[in-house]
Amino acid sequence: MTEVHKRFGRLEVLKGVSLRVAKGEVVVVLGPSGSGKSTLLRSINGLETIDSGSIVVDGLKVHDSRETLYRVRQLTGMVFQQFNLFPHRTVLQNITMAPMHVQKKSRQEAEEIARRLLHKVGLPDKADVYPSKLSGGQQQRVAIGRALAMNPKVMLFDEPTSALDPELIKEVLDVMKDLAKDGMTMIVVSHEIGFAKEVADKVLFLDQGLKVEEASAEQFFRNPTHERTKLFLSKILL
Amino acid sequence: MHNLNFSVLLEYWPAIVAGLQMTIKISALSILCGTLMGLAGALAKVSRLRLLRAAGVLYVEWIRNTPLLIQILFIYFGLGVFLPLTPFTASVFALSLFSGAYITEIIRAGIESIQKGQREAALSLGMTDRQAMFLVILPQAVRRILPPLVGQFISLTKDSSLVSVIAVSELTYVAKNIVTVTFRAFEVWLAIAGFYFVLSFALSYSIRNLEYRLARSD
Repeated sequence: MTEVHKRFGRLEVLKGVSLRVAKGEVVVVLGPSGSGKSTLLRSINGLETIDSGSIVVDGLKVHDSRETLYRVRQLTGMVFQQFNLFPHRTVLQNITMAPMHVQKKSRQEAEEIARRLLHKVGLPDKADVYPSKLSGGQQQRVAIGRALAMNPKVMLFDEPTSALDPELIKEVLDVMKDLAKDGMTMIVVSHEIGFAKEVADKVLFLDQGLKVEEASAEQFFRNPTHERTKLFLSKILL
Repeated sequence: MHNLNFSVLLEYWPAIVAGLQMTIKISALSILCGTLMGLAGALAKVSRLRLLRAAGVLYVEWIRNTPLLIQILFIYFGLGVFLPLTPFTASVFALSLFSGAYITEIIRAGIESIQKGQREAALSLGMTDRQAMFLVILPQAVRRILPPLVGQFISLTKDSSLVSVIAVSELTYVAKNIVTVTFRAFEVWLAIAGFYFVLSFALSYSIRNLEYRLARSD
């Protein structure tokens, strides 16, 4: 990702942000609200357009054409703050929908994948219930399973625990940690400092659309170089 | 003092039943075609293409701001000059076109009521806009719009009485003829109103059951 600019009307949300994420790396993006971190993440799979610069995922320029956009979206899984499960479909159908309709897999094959993933996220007995019957934490784990069903190379997490009750956060973070251990490439927008410290290879700090600091997790938390970063950390690490 | 005599209804029973059947046939066909037109109209109005959106607006505004009676007369007598329209096809055409405009607005509102996160989730999984619409957004929208949609179907059934002006032998036309012959206006029109009531009520009742079944997943 190089020199990405994005504006909403007269408001410039991203003012030339560059980032390189290697295969298998876990990057946590921190920053105050309005810093552009969600926009950054959403532009990686083309949910947001960009005004200049370029984003390349696995050799494909995301905003090149419709064609590359669809291919990139199949390579990237996304998990949203509000889960966004499909309420009219069961948990199993939520997971099988994209493999069946996008990858044209058979129902049998898709269901095998779905059951394996439900096992992985710890919900093997919830296949046939509707999302509204699940807790927020369970819904978010299903959403992770749904994204994984497309066998993505990168997973994007947009504040995945921000809408959850405190006691449900851990079960979601545990699934994410497992994923990181399996070697999944992950970009995570989150305020979970514990997760960042434990799992992140790299931490990115954004403020007002600019990259303020990019460092290894250890360096970032122990010895931040910028005043803005220090101020931010002092506020959230009471 | 005028004596009430409902036996005329029995006397003309076969004609009334035929009229009732014609009303049901016209209404059912118009509900089906009107819904399809409404779906097309709604998809046009939420389209990315400005031309389609403009066409949708033009259709809805033109139909909603002119009287149905005039539309029926225009289609049968006006378009009838160029097209080989029977009273029956003209009726179905007019009623479908008319209800389609209202159904367009109902479906559009339903589509727009679905949170945008649903579409984003579908797109992020690699679905095309069309797949997101037909697999994710519309199925959810249908549940929400069922009540206003049924209201529209009921209006349509009642509005079908207007096609009696182009001599389609549906319920109202038949009734008018019976009254002309027997002068039993009170009895006949009261009974005909009753038939429309039963039709409309049965329609709303059957869809309420469907609504209940669909609501189970929520």
